[in-house]
Amino acid sequence: MSAITNFTVKSLRANKVRTLVTIGGIVLAAALLTAVLTSYTSLQSLLYRGTEEVSGSWMAMAYSDDGRDSLEAQAASAQTEGLIGETALIQDAGFGQLTERQQDIYGRYLPIADITGGVEKLCGLRPSEGRLPEKPGEILLFDTWRTSGGLEVGDTLTLPVGQRAAMLAPGQAGSMSQSPDMPAAMLEEGEWATDAMTEISEGTLLDSSMGYLEADADGGIFNERLVEAEERTYTVVGFFAQIPYVASRGVGITAFTSDDPAAAGYARLFTTMSDVSSTDVVEERMNAAFPEAEVRLHKDLLRYMGVRSGGAIWDTFFGIVAVLAAVIVVACVSLIYNAFAISVAERISQFGLLASVGASRRQLRRAVVLEALIVAVIGIPIGLLVGIGGCAVTFIFVGPALAMLMGAEGVPFVVSVAPWALAFSASLTLVTVLVSAFVPAWRASRISVVEALRGTRGGRVSKRGVKAAAKAVMPGKLWKPRGMVDRIFGIGGTLAHINEKRGTGRGTAASVSLALAIVLLMTAGSLSTFLGKLSDVAGGTVDMPDVSISAALVATVDASSDPEAVVAAANERFAKDAELFGATYDSLLDTPGAVPRGWILRGSAPIMLPEEMADTAILDHEIEAGPRADGRCGAMAGLVFLDDATFDAYAAEQGIDAAEYHDAAHPRAIGVAEAYGNNGDVYQLFRVFRSTGMVEVIEGGIVTTDGGARRPIEVFTSGYYGTGEDGGSRFNITPYYTDEQGNTVIADDDISSDQVTVVSSQLEIAALADAAPSLMGNAWGLKLIMPMSLASTTGFGIMSPSFEGFFDAANDAHAEVAQALVDEAGTFLHAHVADDVSYLMMNDFAERFESNRTLALVVNVFCLLFTVILALIAMGNVFNTVTNSLILRRREFAVMRSVGLSGRQFRRMIVDECLGFGLRGFVPGLLVATVVSWLLYCVVTNSMTGLVFALPWTYVALALGMTVAAMLVSVAYGMHRCKADNVVEVLRADNA
Amino acid sequence: MEILRVSHLTKVYGEGEATTRALDDVSFSVEEGEFVAIVGSSGSGKSTLLHLIGGVDRPTSGSVLVNGIDVYARSNEELAVFRRREVGLVYQFYNLVPVLNVVENMTLPVALDGRPVNQERLSGLINRLGLHDREGYLPSQLSGGQQQRVAIGRALMNAPAVVLADEPTGNLDTRNSAEIMQLLRGSNRDFGQTMIVITHDEEIALAADRIIAVEDGRIVRDERIRR
Repeated sequence: MSAITNFTVKSLRANKVRTLVTIGGIVLAAALLTAVLTSYTSLQSLLYRGTEEVSGSWMAMAYSDDGRDSLEAQAASAQTEGLIGETALIQDAGFGQLTERQQDIYGRYLPIADITGGVEKLCGLRPSEGRLPEKPGEILLFDTWRTSGGLEVGDTLTLPVGQRAAMLAPGQAGSMSQSPDMPAAMLEEGEWATDAMTEISEGTLLDSSMGYLEADADGGIFNERLVEAEERTYTVVGFFAQIPYVASRGVGITAFTSDDPAAAGYARLFTTMSDVSSTDVVEERMNAAFPEAEVRLHKDLLRYMGVRSGGAIWDTFFGIVAVLAAVIVVACVSLIYNAFAISVAERISQFGLLASVGASRRQLRRAVVLEALIVAVIGIPIGLLVGIGGCAVTFIFVGPALAMLMGAEGVPFVVSVAPWALAFSASLTLVTVLVSAFVPAWRASRISVVEALRGTRGGRVSKRGVKAAAKAVMPGKLWKPRGMVDRIFGIGGTLAHINEKRGTGRGTAASVSLALAIVLLMTAGSLSTFLGKLSDVAGGTVDMPDVSISAALVATVDASSDPEAVVAAANERFAKDAELFGATYDSLLDTPGAVPRGWILRGSAPIMLPEEMADTAILDHEIEAGPRADGRCGAMAGLVFLDDATFDAYAAEQGIDAAEYHDAAHPRAIGVAEAYGNNGDVYQLFRVFRSTGMVEVIEGGIVTTDGGARRPIEVFTSGYYGTGEDGGSRFNITPYYTDEQGNTVIADDDISSDQVTVVSSQLEIAALADAAPSLMGNAWGLKLIMPMSLASTTGFGIMSPSFEGFFDAANDAHAEVAQALVDEAGTFLHAHVADDVSYLMMNDFAERFESNRTLALVVNVFCLLFTVILALIAMGNVFNTVTNSLILRRREFAVMRSVGLSGRQFRRMIVDECLGFGLRGFVPGLLVATVVSWLLYCVVTNSMTGLVFALPWTYVALALGMTVAAMLVSVAYGMHRCKADNVVEVLRADNA
Repeated sequence: MEILRVSHLTKVYGEGEATTRALDDVSFSVEEGEFVAIVGSSGSGKSTLLHLIGGVDRPTSGSVLVNGIDVYARSNEELAVFRRREVGLVYQFYNLVPVLNVVENMTLPVALDGRPVNQERLSGLINRLGLHDREGYLPSQLSGGQQQRVAIGRALMNAPAVVLADEPTGNLDTRNSAEIMQLLRGSNRDFGQTMIVITHDEEIALAADRIIAVEDGRIVRDERIRR
């Protein structure tokens, strides 16, 4: 062991606390990096295994209408060339004729397919009972044949099997194009199923990719029938419960057999590949292997394999991981750097000593690097283990919830460690450690031996400080207090000020660590806020009731030809309905286990509003609304009456005074200004109203038919049409009525036409709310909320309002409670209105919200962990730097105290200094944090629009509070250390 | 007039077996205007004695009276005030505040006391110490001898009851040492400033009015030099 090695090891042993702190920092850094990367690889692995479980591990599929032999031959040669791996083949083997009773249960036919190869693994076709078919005459059936059909393994099934053939519907002629029924998962992005049309004419045989043809139902010209049917008998060898890609629209769920002589026609060959880097490679290989066949890729699986990514939510996911990883790297680098810089600075005199006995600069640097290596070798493996262990523990808690969310409950969420992730974490930590050690070591080695030994370090005073000091000699300038702070803090403040102005960055390390603390905490805050919002919006309002009962009565239209009378009748009926449903709701209150949440009555009516009230959702007709030719905007409004108590609570929640909304003489409503909806790709915020104001509600009226009859309007519909420039953008409201012959007619003119007479009323939108009542969940569209007290006088001509009563279920027994409620409501309504009930149904929201709550839980746990860890790093950093900036100056403090600096003056000086570098840390910290928040915001808005960028002020306050607290603790500790030191000893010790 | 009385001063460091008696029942008194040299080998307890007189440490037992007032009957805050007004400390390694310039270092005790700086005394001292043209310099820009002169200036600025110097020339070459000694001796003579100086240097010791020799925490010799 060389002298330097010996010295290094000894000095590490001698300074146990410092060594442990440094190792702790390295462990934390390595653990964090490992945890982030392992979470990422584990999640990807979960998604991969989930997909594999549900739809098999095939990566690509070739299919052909009648080319089984060529597919197999091509696959065999492609396998020898190494283009593809294992294969599985599924080919049509006829369609079994079912009895009418069977058709009700199993679908139109029993499609039979012949399987060859590794379908179990590749296609996810696993028997839940029994086994796969192995020879002709054996069959694997869907589980309902066992549960509903009473079949057991070993039973036989005999039925006629034939081919489906298209048959022109009566009175029809010609041919048509039909798209194959392709599962959405197999379609390329932006591709429509219609891209691969099949021409169908009389007698065309239909394979299993074609949906069931029924002219009456699908509007086509063909029906279908079974031809070439022959009686066949199969032995049941097993059942499967999960549905892979084996069902076509309306046809039925496939049964599987093996080596069937009747296998012919449509065949699909599934295969895997190895060493593929991109979807292009997969496609190329498939095209090379199967030149004539059509090719599909298993895009979900490929995505989770890392071969492919895409989709807005995934970009968001990867974006968030990238931003977080960057923040964590910065945090860890600073943590380790600080630990080393401080440890080296503390021992400068030791280096001086070494140098004085002949250690070269190179040797000194080597000593530090060696020290770094030793602590790294101890710290990094521990860190990797802690990171993996931390993930494992976290997954135990959130794993089941996540797996459930993926719809793959049988797939456990376990830690999946990728070697590259470990290597990356380890090497990044090592590089950080080396850089962190080398920079201070290089600095230390440049200090002259004498300076190092004497402890009068160079660089205590900045160049600017020298100039400032030179000026401060005139009697007037000597000890002149500067500003308010100095006056408050007295001589302590002045000293702090001088130190701040003339010293070299002694406080800089502390400022940087403060800035970092702000950045870290605010990043955590932004993440929580944005993710929370995303999961809120994606999951709907968490506070939704468990179940609801909805009902409506059959509408009656007054046959009057007077528009006023039509509306008056509707309003009278509306008032009655409100009364009836109020009583219905009351009758449900005593249902065991049901906790009432309130009830609503709603309908819709067209409204007209001035353009200045409308926001983008109306102006850009994102909802059923838009600008009209008459200069106003029109919209189909959802008019929602909340029971009075619920309304008052909602108003209070929105900070609106509910009292004035109960005035029947002057109806007022609360407009829901904005709401989230999913447009299929991203979560979009619909901004409906810009301001409050008066709107005109079209309550009803009459249409004068071409024949001169005056018919009441039953309902209004809307559409976008217009001429010229306005084509397709003008919002028209058209009435729906029954003509003299009893035919239902949609008038194709806007209500502004001469043939339409309407009655309208004024409604004041007196306040805007930023959310719909929580009862309604994430209802979007134009919603106007009113109290039920208005229902008896103000019905807005709504013909058939629908009732919905909301309840929570005690003890989570939502299904039972929903059933009890619907039974009770049915009894009540039957007793009161008998057959006038249009519909009565129950809605079990709890079932659906279970998974949303799970999502919220996962997001919350993740955010909490992240916040706690970042807070720890941030606070540790602040503590380290602040404490050390004080301890390194303890000699200076001792001098001041020996010439009469009192404890009070000392404290004031320190507080003032802390204020100074606190401020210098906070401002840049806030700026950087804003940038990071903005990045996160940009990432999140990829999959959600309308999110307003705002700094998470609660977290800013939290960050401030925590850093101030950390500073107080650090200062208290640092001062305690400085004070505990005997002035005498300090003054002497450094000189010795 | 007696300006300092040290009675039965004992200072024990550490506990149990590690106990060190740095000072063991030391008593003596100093008259106003006296120039006392304290000599003794390394570890004899002379620095401890100086620090106890200067109010920067607390004795295990015994008392120190400066101007008839018991130093250690004071609270810590009062002790700080005592150090500003009644004591001037000079160390071997100068111990200047690195961010303060020459005049600021010199006037720091006055500033800490919140009193206006006596400009006449300041410029008098600066001239006497040969520091004119160096007022705005920071300690890092000064030589060792100059730094020590600033430290002496700081000790004298408040005209304290007693100036305590701990090996003030221990870190300086012969020429600087002589200059520093002359300064100390001169202040003693011209201002009647009471001085207690710890030294190894025989010559310096011989320049004093009185030599107190300390060994193993006890006074072994106390002699006045007749001139």
